[in-house]
Amino acid sequence: MSFLLVMKAEIVRTLIIMRRYWLRTIMGMIMGYGMLIVLILGFMLSQEELTNTMNDRFGDPEAATNFVLGFIIGMFAFGIVGMFTQGLQGMAVSGVLEQLCLSPHGLVTNFLARSTVAAITTCFSSSLMVWMVTMTVGGTLFFNGPALAMLLILTFINLLGFGFMMGGLILVFKQVGQVAILIRMGLFALAIFAKEELLEQGWAMATLVHALPIADAAILLKHVLIKNQRLVDGNYVPVYQHPSLFFLLLSCAVWTTLGITCFKMMENWSRAKGTLGTY
Amino acid sequence: MTESSGTLIELSRLNKTFTLRNFFYKDEETGKRQFYRKRLVKAVQNINFTIDRGEIFGLLGPNGAGKTTTVKMLSGLVKPDEGMVSVDGLDVERHRQKVLRKVGVVLEGTRTSIWPLTPMENLAYYGNLKNVKGSVLSERSNRLLDFIGLQDKKHVEVRHLSRGQKQKLAICIALIGDPQVLLLDEPTTGLDVQSARAIKDKIIEMTREYGKSVLVTTHDMHVAQELCDRIGIIDKGQLVACKPTQELLGNFSDQVYVFQLDREPDIAALEQVPGVLTVTTELTSEGPTAVINLEPEPAARSRALYAVMEALSKGNYELRSIAQRQQNLESVFLQLTTSTM
Repeated sequence: MSFLLVMKAEIVRTLIIMRRYWLRTIMGMIMGYGMLIVLILGFMLSQEELTNTMNDRFGDPEAATNFVLGFIIGMFAFGIVGMFTQGLQGMAVSGVLEQLCLSPHGLVTNFLARSTVAAITTCFSSSLMVWMVTMTVGGTLFFNGPALAMLLILTFINLLGFGFMMGGLILVFKQVGQVAILIRMGLFALAIFAKEELLEQGWAMATLVHALPIADAAILLKHVLIKNQRLVDGNYVPVYQHPSLFFLLLSCAVWTTLGITCFKMMENWSRAKGTLGTY
Repeated sequence: MTESSGTLIELSRLNKTFTLRNFFYKDEETGKRQFYRKRLVKAVQNINFTIDRGEIFGLLGPNGAGKTTTVKMLSGLVKPDEGMVSVDGLDVERHRQKVLRKVGVVLEGTRTSIWPLTPMENLAYYGNLKNVKGSVLSERSNRLLDFIGLQDKKHVEVRHLSRGQKQKLAICIALIGDPQVLLLDEPTTGLDVQSARAIKDKIIEMTREYGKSVLVTTHDMHVAQELCDRIGIIDKGQLVACKPTQELLGNFSDQVYVFQLDREPDIAALEQVPGVLTVTTELTSEGPTAVINLEPEPAARSRALYAVMEALSKGNYELRSIAQRQQNLESVFLQLTTSTM
């Protein structure tokens, strides 16, 4: 109930700000689209000047779509984790964080609701952007509603735990903005370069990929949207039977538990230090 | 005035020490540099006081005295090292979320609101955060904006409001959950005279009409004197006085006497008189005066008063008049805090 109330407040706030600053919202989308399209077309149209490696990677529409999708999943991860890092810092500077700390729903519920709303709005704008870019570059996306919805929810939960952990660090140590940006960039790169082939590079690499947040989610999203649920060898494997799904569920459980526990501990520590809500 | 009397807030043996850590610290006095320095600052030491229902309690103190830390401990933003804070019988540490339903807090008020939203939208947002919903929220938002005088600005984005209007909105935000207690940290700082007065009047009205208890920290002695039923003076983390405002002023005005003389008094000689605490001189249009602070205990004060008159007589001073000085909160505050500053 608490969560729903806070979420309602967040949705209303977000919609009002999006409506009031509509030009900024549209410009943001146009710039995102333009940036991606320039990047992709740049790679596709200058094949002769690029190295063979680049040609292999971006020379065909599927590879380009793969890159775009990775890019957008990366943006999604960047945004969700950023809500806990730079977003939390911004709220501390503006004084809104103090009021959230004073809300009887608790800081965890507030951030849960904030990040859910941020995820939903990002999903809408990202979907639109993926579709537009894919159409432009001539790639194909395979749409499977239930699988996609499940994966998006799991991707969000996967990022949530990691976001809470980062947010906890910000609550206590405050000025860790540069480190947070580096970590977010790492997640961004992970989303772009995560692919099924990595899991076949030995157990150490496979363990690392499964342990990191977003990697399994990105692999599965690409498996559904680009590869139409087919493995590298061409065999059809529904996403529900994909081995990465088990690891994604495990990753969600571990990161969420770890993240929220860490956040609560850090919140308590911050209260003891007397710096909760301040920057 | 209030629906029911009795203690609403209780702070008991409250202690808080902060650890300050500095890297590459340079001592301003010696110029010595240290790679790392750890320093303990006792922000609050053994604070005890209570606030009754419907009471306005003022917490006064110089900068860094521990006022904001006390307010933050009351609202659960800072965890005390020792002692207990309770609101309506609930321990803030154990029942923080329940306590937050009973408490409204204004800390640096102009920063509380979300600037791209209007006052009405801010109240809707914070109302939801504080469990207020539906028609109650809408009705309460309108009533609060009407009460505080922001009804005509309810659809104007907060970033276009003046500092005083933002402060008023912050009070509305704190009140949207209909709390029993309102904690106001420096509510009039940086405001012009009219805005400060308007906010002060609204606080009084709210306490008298709706029976809310208010804890207000302020540097403005005039606001505190006019606003507060009871005042606590905090200095270096310790509560040095806690009395009803009139009693606090009365206690000190009994002690201070102004002797109008024909010439400058000999301060050193007067300070030797038993029962005299301090002697200062002031030059008025009617001539020089000796302002003498006597022992607070009535019998000792009486003896000291006669002894001073005798000393002045021996020194061949012409005593033109004696008057008790009417104290204001500022002089009381200075007397209580100067010795330790």
